[in-house]
Amino acid sequence: MSYPYKIDLHMHTRVSDGTDLPSEIINNVKNAGIALFSVTDHDAVKGCAEILSLLKKDDPSFITGVEFSCKDELGKYHILGYRYDVAAPAINSIVAAGHNLRMEKLEKRLDFLKREFGFDFSNEDVDALRSLDNPGKPHIGNLMVKYGYAETKETAINNYINKFHSGNKYVRPEDAIKAIIDSNGIPVLAHPSYGRGDEIITGDDMNSRLKRLKEFGLQGVEAFYSGFTPKLQNEILDFAKQYDFFVTAGSDYHGKNKIVVLGDTNLPDESMYPPGLIRFIKAVRFK
Amino acid sequence: MKVVSGTVTENEIKISLSGRIDSNNAHDIENEIMLIVSGKENLPTVVDAQGLEYISSAGLRVLLHLKKMNSDLCIINVNSEVYEILDMTGFTQMMTVEKAYRVVSVEGCEEIGRGANGTIYRIDQDNVVKVYNNADALEDIRHEREVARIALVLGIPTAISYDVVRVGNSYGSVFELLNASSFSKILSTKPEKMDWCVKEYTNMLKKIHGTVVPEGKLPDIKETALGWAKFMKDYLPEKQADKLISLVEAVPKDNHMIHGDYHTKNLELQDDEVLLIDMDTLSVGHPIFEMASIFNSFIGYSEYDHEIVKKFQGFDYTIATTFWKKFLAAYLGTNNENKLKEVEDKARIVGYARMIRRSIRRHGLESEAGRAEIELWKNELIELLDRIDTLLFTRNELEIEAERDNLPQVLSFIEQHLEEVGCSMKAQMQISVAAEEIFINIANYAYAPEIGKATVMIEVSEDPITVSITFMDNGKPFDPTKKTDPDISLSAQDRQIGGLGIFMTKKMMDDVSYEYKDGKNILKIEKNLG
Repeated sequence: MSYPYKIDLHMHTRVSDGTDLPSEIINNVKNAGIALFSVTDHDAVKGCAEILSLLKKDDPSFITGVEFSCKDELGKYHILGYRYDVAAPAINSIVAAGHNLRMEKLEKRLDFLKREFGFDFSNEDVDALRSLDNPGKPHIGNLMVKYGYAETKETAINNYINKFHSGNKYVRPEDAIKAIIDSNGIPVLAHPSYGRGDEIITGDDMNSRLKRLKEFGLQGVEAFYSGFTPKLQNEILDFAKQYDFFVTAGSDYHGKNKIVVLGDTNLPDESMYPPGLIRFIKAVRFK
Repeated sequence: MKVVSGTVTENEIKISLSGRIDSNNAHDIENEIMLIVSGKENLPTVVDAQGLEYISSAGLRVLLHLKKMNSDLCIINVNSEVYEILDMTGFTQMMTVEKAYRVVSVEGCEEIGRGANGTIYRIDQDNVVKVYNNADALEDIRHEREVARIALVLGIPTAISYDVVRVGNSYGSVFELLNASSFSKILSTKPEKMDWCVKEYTNMLKKIHGTVVPEGKLPDIKETALGWAKFMKDYLPEKQADKLISLVEAVPKDNHMIHGDYHTKNLELQDDEVLLIDMDTLSVGHPIFEMASIFNSFIGYSEYDHEIVKKFQGFDYTIATTFWKKFLAAYLGTNNENKLKEVEDKARIVGYARMIRRSIRRHGLESEAGRAEIELWKNELIELLDRIDTLLFTRNELEIEAERDNLPQVLSFIEQHLEEVGCSMKAQMQISVAAEEIFINIANYAYAPEIGKATVMIEVSEDPITVSITFMDNGKPFDPTKKTDPDISLSAQDRQIGGLGIFMTKKMMDDVSYEYKDGKNILKIEKNLG
């Protein structure tokens, strides 16, 4: 059998915080020479539903994807889900639950800013925030800059928005993993060394994390990642072998929002693909 | 405060980062960096992280993307916290990352040493810093650390630097040196310690010169000396210039260690231990090249201006010349004036050539005093080159595998020294017979069934002329001067010769003494030639 030459299993569209429309991303993937791809918007599956409806016969191979932001008492995680059924109730209900949590949090944050600091926004601007799939701190921060409540988005976040503690409601990793599996999908830990984006996790910390997530049903790790050094990549590959995990590769492309190049996954030549990646490709392409 | 600022010149992009970089601002910082570098991706880029307090993995990804766009990237002035993050995540393996160096001032500090490449100051009771002359000295520091480690592994006691610091516009490497004093300081404050200093100085040098260095680890000093000799072509008459080159060329390859800058400021006494500092001139080669630089440090540089040694070493010229003579006698194991003069003259040949070159390169020809000094050195050099035909000299110590086959080498080593002191044929023969008996005895029994080393050392003292030869081995303790019980495990023949041998040795020599010390059999024979 022959493997696709170029793969990229981690990218975002405008459904979350990317800048490409689902239709645009298909073209960009094609132009980048990528043969197998997945779109992994944050806590959302509707981009994948749209792409499935847009794909034509000669387009690159596609598998459904999603990236859940999760948290528990022991840390924060980004958990990827692949090849799930877009119509499956399990995944759609966790997406809806996540969306409700974020909306709830948005309202609480706006209340807090008004109550504590007297920051007021027009109804139109608040409605625009509410219409977003994933309104977070940066969106509120930008609005505060627009109103002159803060000089920069960072000071808005650090000095005001972060003063609000949103409590302990969040999507737990075991719930995300279970929803992915119940929807016939494969749960994979995104950029393991970086946790949810700001941390650096290696060695024993990584080991205990992977051990616990495997007990919850985790099946793979994203060892090839645009932001990894060879040292981090090799550590994840070693853990993948130890835990018998699938291995995936992704760029975390966000369109014009980041300088990540589509298809940049640090994958070596295909003759060097580790067995965990070959198994993953077989599993998703030949159901 | 602005986190990013950048300057672009014709051949470099410089980006300064400060504050914190995490997921709150990584995205904006990335955009700002892109604005600075876009369209100039082929320019070498230096990221100055002097003000950077913290970087999260979101910030690391920005650096990695920058590296992917611009492969010639280095990060400088990284604080230790950020360095730890970059090291843990493997960034230090992917790009050049330079730590921010601690800044140290040497103002008002005591100067304790000065070498070819830098000056050593004591910064506090426990530490010294070597400040390099060359402003861009990181490569020199790396080199010196490496050669010091080579020396330490080979058993030469030396201080190894543990930190690199900024001193003014230059770099320094910091060594721990607890309450140490240099030999220069001892000689200038306690002249009564002269003989002790000579002994320790000589022993350390013999240790260095007795150390075999694996091929390729250190440069060959002969190559350097050949450079000095060739430089002289323009300043000497053709005949003498050619001779100088051929003398250096004729020095055989030697894989023993040479310090290269072995003066008394580079030897420190710390507690009871003598230790070397300033290792950057370490090389391999024949000891004549070392003798030349030692001659220069005590006499050469100060021969026409005695104040120089006082200024440089702290003791006066009389002490310097006395030390040199005593050292030479101790190193060569003889008080024979002719022999000492012979080696000194050879050292002067290389020494003068080196000084003339050094002076000319430092614009010595441009001043009246400089020209006069060069002229004097030149005349000495021409006179020496006219009468000396080799730079080689024999040392008084031979270390050799204790094997029967090596006997001829041992005997010719001894005979050579005996000829130098004008020993009679009869005495020469008697000494050879005794030496043969003792060496074969060591070869047969000291390490049996293994093979080990033996050291033969010849010393000559005058009034009356007495030759003493010491044999040392690390084998089984055995005192041949004592009458021993017959060993029935030996063949009858061996027993007879052995017994007869020691009997004859005692009869022919004026003194035979034995001691067992520091795991060594030390057998010394003495013959009065008076």
